[in-house]
Amino acid sequence: MTSVLIVDDELFIVELYRDILQLRGYRVTGTAFDGEEALKKYTTSTDKPDVIIMDHRMPVMNGVDATKAIMKLNPSQKVIFVSADVLVEKEARDAGAIDFLPKPFRMDDLIEKMERIASLR
Amino acid sequence: MTEQRHPADRDDKFAFYMDLLAHDILNNNQAVLGYLELVLAAPGTDRTAKKFAEKAVSHVRTSTILIENIKRLLATRAVDPDSFRPLALQSSVSLSERDLTKLFPDKKLKVRVAPCVERAFVIGNSAAHDLIMNSMVNMVRLDPNDEVHLSIELKEVQVKGKMCWRISLEDPNAELPPALRGRDVESIYLQDSSTAVRLSGVLFAKMIAQRLGGDFEAQELNAKGQKKGATFVITLRKASGP
Repeated sequence: MTSVLIVDDELFIVELYRDILQLRGYRVTGTAFDGEEALKKYTTSTDKPDVIIMDHRMPVMNGVDATKAIMKLNPSQKVIFVSADVLVEKEARDAGAIDFLPKPFRMDDLIEKMERIASLR
Repeated sequence: MTEQRHPADRDDKFAFYMDLLAHDILNNNQAVLGYLELVLAAPGTDRTAKKFAEKAVSHVRTSTILIENIKRLLATRAVDPDSFRPLALQSSVSLSERDLTKLFPDKKLKVRVAPCVERAFVIGNSAAHDLIMNSMVNMVRLDPNDEVHLSIELKEVQVKGKMCWRISLEDPNAELPPALRGRDVESIYLQDSSTAVRLSGVLFAKMIAQRLGGDFEAQELNAKGQKKGATFVITLRKASGP
């Protein structure tokens, strides 16, 4: 079962992803509301997620910086970047994100990307 | 919310708050779209409920395009047209066609594109693409039929000493609103606000085209002896290649 860490500062977005991913059979290992919390959870957890769904605009630490920090810890970590800021796509990919989805996107598109990543394992 | 920024002047502050609002609305659209998808996929959802949910999805997508328009206007408000990169018209039209089918799942869309579009490039990268996409969306919204036929023609023209592509987007069945018949698009500013709001997509097209050093006009096909139909004439600066 593919595991996921959800990082977004909006509670309703976190709940949306969690609801849909759990319904589709994914295991949500945790959630974080900013980049720093995500980094802390990622560092301390023994249950590393297969995929991280990462937002960009968040307080304390944004998604690009969090992705860079996580990729430094584990260069093979799969991060799907999701943001309403399409202009941040290049930065996100340069930071190590394997894919980018501009908000709002179809959840089926996210699932498709998750499945593709899972098939690479 | 978002990272800390300190906008320097009033214009910057205005743009900053508009950007925050746009971002938050897109997040809300994401949630609405996601849960509608759940409703559509649920085995217990009957056909009528699915039809209503599909219509709601279409409206959320339109709302997203409107928000993107606001973001685009903000992003291009003080940009020199020469700083924009070229855009391949063919790929922009193809992408728009693909997105239109998602946006209007109830309509059957047929787009005929003149062969010369394949080799045409315009100045304006993503802003020009938004303009093409927005124009096609506006045209489909003006067509009351379930089957929509759009055609795109291209002509090379010179405007104020610059070589341009004049792109004619035509729909023989579109119904141009009275507020646009025989009038310049900018006359929308003079309309009452409820009319202006309904035509905001057309106004957006005009503003973006002008910011890219081009222009946008809406014309009736009546002039050619037909009873209905509309043409959007988009003029954009020509780029020699990618």
